[in-house]
Amino acid sequence: MTRFGIRAALWAFLGLVLIGGVACATVPFSAIEEALCCIQLEQAGRILAAIQLGYGQEGFPSDDVLRLVERLVENPSSPAEKESILLILAMALEEGLPVDGLLSKAFEGLVRGVPLSQIGIGLQQRLILLTQVRDLFLDKRIFVVPSGSAQSVPSALPAPRFNELLTNIADVVGDHLEGGGSARDGHALYEEVEKRLMALQGVTLLQADVELVLDRIEPADLTRVALAAVS
Amino acid sequence: MKRTDVDEILRDALREDVSGAQPYLDELEDRIIVELGERRPRLRTTDWIRQLVAPTRSTRFGQLIVVGATAAAFLIVGLFASRFFEQQSELPTGGGIRLETAQEARSGLQEVLFVVPAPLAASTVVVVGDFNDWEATPLTDEDGDGIWTTTIPLSPGRYEYGYLIDGRWWGEDPRADEYIQSFGEYSSVRYVGRGGEGV
Repeated sequence: MTRFGIRAALWAFLGLVLIGGVACATVPFSAIEEALCCIQLEQAGRILAAIQLGYGQEGFPSDDVLRLVERLVENPSSPAEKESILLILAMALEEGLPVDGLLSKAFEGLVRGVPLSQIGIGLQQRLILLTQVRDLFLDKRIFVVPSGSAQSVPSALPAPRFNELLTNIADVVGDHLEGGGSARDGHALYEEVEKRLMALQGVTLLQADVELVLDRIEPADLTRVALAAVS
Repeated sequence: MKRTDVDEILRDALREDVSGAQPYLDELEDRIIVELGERRPRLRTTDWIRQLVAPTRSTRFGQLIVVGATAAAFLIVGLFASRFFEQQSELPTGGGIRLETAQEARSGLQEVLFVVPAPLAASTVVVVGDFNDWEATPLTDEDGDGIWTTTIPLSPGRYEYGYLIDGRWWGEDPRADEYIQSFGEYSSVRYVGRGGEGV
């Protein structure tokens, strides 16, 4: 093999790595920015800043954010209603909360033809629940371990595991309330949380994480979370 | 003194010198080899690499060595990478559905059957859920009996979904594991894998 041959092989390898990297890349911020230009927004700066902040999150679903903006552009509702949806998303990102659940709920509402105002009410409640459950976790000394650091104690969880627990518990409480359940029925809430987490144990949740949460959270805690969402 | 006598004296003197130096001459070769060995410069890492690559410029055998070494390097990197991704896959993501490795995609996916009875006049029936990002997956009714079906490969997890029959929401699938209220109507929930039937 000549020196030229070795160089050619190296360049080919680098090219393949580059192509692979581009293929795996997330949606660029400029694409979302461009799509947002199609909606008359009063707080465009805040929304864009929050989305840019979101890019710092591990596993930020930029493709779903772009898809939501595109769906909103197509939607015949008023710009103000569209903005209210985007502002809820922005608030979640500003708080560093996971937005997968909010996006899923928004897409569900849009595909079912639910009015944007109603979708906004649903998302607002989910946002409150996410915030409350996150605060509850911190209160119970369940933390997020910084990306790249080793897990020092069982209650310091990597962001994906922390967010998965957070999303599921907020989701259970939200479903309970939407289903007409009482916010004051802490025991029923705890049973529903336990049922959900146990069903997902070993599937999308680790057994140690499920045990950690069920051990530290009490029915009264869930009552406080639910009451905050309905007040 | 005759010339022959002088020659004789010189010859004797030379013989005496040579015989006296013989022990030194016998060991001379060994000493030179030892001394040269000690003076040989130590090779640096770059020199070692240069020596390894050098044969490839001229011989087919060298080319084979480089190709073999490259293949081995890729194999080792591949093994490390697969182990790394296996460890990563044990950790769920924040998106509700964990990221899959290629291995899981082959072994962890389950064909989940979706069946819905629709009015005979129905023209389009689709299923939407968080497994397809709430984008329509069409169902078919090939024999026209009003039973629309499709199968979707899903990895283990919990999925919320419902049907759109000619654009109208229908979220009470009898095959669902549970139901939830969403936007004032029922939605179906299916658990795939542990904790649910899956199919």
